[in-house]
Amino acid sequence: MGRRVIWTVFRKEMLDLFRDRKALLGTFLVPLVIIPFVFFLLGMSYSNVEKEARAYIPIAVNGSSGLVASLQTIPGVSILQPSNQEQALQEGQLRAIITISPAFEERVKVGGTGEVVVAFDSTNQKSVYARTVIEKTVEAYSKEIVVQRLKQAGMSEQAIKPIASTYQNVATEERLSGGMLAGIIPLMLVVSLASGGIAAANDLVAGEKERGTLESLMTAPIAANHILTAKLMAVMVMSCMSALASLVSLSLVLRLGPLEMESGFSLSFFSPVTLLVLVLTILVLAATFAALELVLSTIAKSFKEGQTYMSGVIFLAMVPSYMMMPLNPVDIPGYYYVLPVFNGVALCKEVFYGRVEPLHALVGLGSSLVYVAIITVMSSRLFRKEGAVVKN
Amino acid sequence: MIEVKQVSKRFGTISAIEDVSFRVEAGEVYGLLGENGAGKTTTMRMMATILQPTEGDIEISGFSVQKEPVEVRRRIGILFGGDVGLYNRLSARENIAYFGSLYGLEQRRLQERIDSLSQMLEMESFIDRRVGAFSRGMKQKVAIARTLVHDPDVILLDEPTTGLDVTAANIFRRMVGKLQEEGKTILFSSHNMGEINKLCKRIALIHKGRLQFAGGLDTLRERFGISDLDDIFMAVVEGSEA
Repeated sequence: MGRRVIWTVFRKEMLDLFRDRKALLGTFLVPLVIIPFVFFLLGMSYSNVEKEARAYIPIAVNGSSGLVASLQTIPGVSILQPSNQEQALQEGQLRAIITISPAFEERVKVGGTGEVVVAFDSTNQKSVYARTVIEKTVEAYSKEIVVQRLKQAGMSEQAIKPIASTYQNVATEERLSGGMLAGIIPLMLVVSLASGGIAAANDLVAGEKERGTLESLMTAPIAANHILTAKLMAVMVMSCMSALASLVSLSLVLRLGPLEMESGFSLSFFSPVTLLVLVLTILVLAATFAALELVLSTIAKSFKEGQTYMSGVIFLAMVPSYMMMPLNPVDIPGYYYVLPVFNGVALCKEVFYGRVEPLHALVGLGSSLVYVAIITVMSSRLFRKEGAVVKN
Repeated sequence: MIEVKQVSKRFGTISAIEDVSFRVEAGEVYGLLGENGAGKTTTMRMMATILQPTEGDIEISGFSVQKEPVEVRRRIGILFGGDVGLYNRLSARENIAYFGSLYGLEQRRLQERIDSLSQMLEMESFIDRRVGAFSRGMKQKVAIARTLVHDPDVILLDEPTTGLDVTAANIFRRMVGKLQEEGKTILFSSHNMGEINKLCKRIALIHKGRLQFAGGLDTLRERFGISDLDDIFMAVVEGSEA
């Protein structure tokens, strides 16, 4: 009887939600439209700035040296002499001003140090790029002088380079790819899980209360817990669908979009175990958010009031995601695995780094289940409270 | 049968119902009369087990609303006043079928009930359309069909004709007559004396949460020596405030 009632209510809720434009927008708008749009704009903007910064590097040079000739060989470099160089730099017409000291060549010739001052604007990305180009050119020119001086002294370059060091990166291509995804995906995933169920949760309790349907429903000979279970399942489905749409959307954006990943996009860090942990993490996070959203929706006296309460859920999702964004899984503090939502984000990061610690998975998923149970019991008590389903 | 036994309902310090008792016999159409805010809906909500009496008890077909709420809910069909409480994104048929399923009706029986109610309430032309675009009268018909889909013994109707046009109100009255012929017990709340007069022989009159009268309309007329029910109603209200 209980299962039949839960299935009947769940089926109706899904039918109702799929016909509700507000709920569908809430579930799919962020992952399918906003995420690709933001990444596209971000990528376009970075790529355009970088292209422009490389294509044309207007600089001013005061003084003379062989360094100037070296600079002129760099593609895109154009030497200008505007009347007011500082103003031109501030206004972006110049990317850098190089001032070579008057006695530069003489000092270098006698084995001394020639001085070069480079003025640039750190708030302008194109100017920062010009600084990098100049720095590399100065280094190369400096190296040429050193080699000449060593030759004159009868020494080889090895004399000042006694150690040859090579740095080998042990991170595999998969891990490099996963590491980058581990920064972005947990944030997107958790925010989608939280936001995807909001419209549904608000409509299924606060909305029904406002429309008077919940009161009619509660006069049927069925247990309040069965109604709540069906509603929890419906909200979870909407949350998971939103998260899935986010993952697909983000994968497509990273594979096809204008953002270039250092190591190329790959999902090869997934193994059956990490995939299973990811699925379980998504499910417990969806259940946590769904139960919490139903509590808030039950407390709310109207749909509008429910919407106000729900903004707190997004905040709850964003804080741990942002806090852990720069962290490598090995740097995540142990107690994060028992904190609500933090544990889900931490497990997501481990999954995307391709190595899940069994103890972390056990503690993270176990503690999440405890939180889900606590919030569900709370929600159930509220739901059964006299007058909780009555509008006035 | 409905038996209201010395029921009081308080919300904090506010008393909504105070020591109300009346009895509706099986197969009877009984009127619950009172102004807006008199306590009619609170009484109905207690009968439907949505609210619990603070004192006293209500029995529906011999089952206590406090001790056996699920048994009570199995036996009643309630139509709430004001908002008709339908799912706007579902069709009329889907709304009725949803509630029928929750009452455990088998698919075949459910379809028979929907067809029969659709015919009785003249809903055939819009039964498969979504409720959101319906007029108030159409919505009210769907809500009535939803209330009756599981063929309850006891029917609670809270201000059922509010907002209905003359035709829809007539269809509704015919339906109440038919349900009475089928032996259903009907409690009908209204603030409209004319309507109560057309449908009921006995009434309970509530004013500011207190029972002013419970009994036959003839007894009420005799007691006040006035035949017009609106005048009697006013006399009761003014008498209780004097």
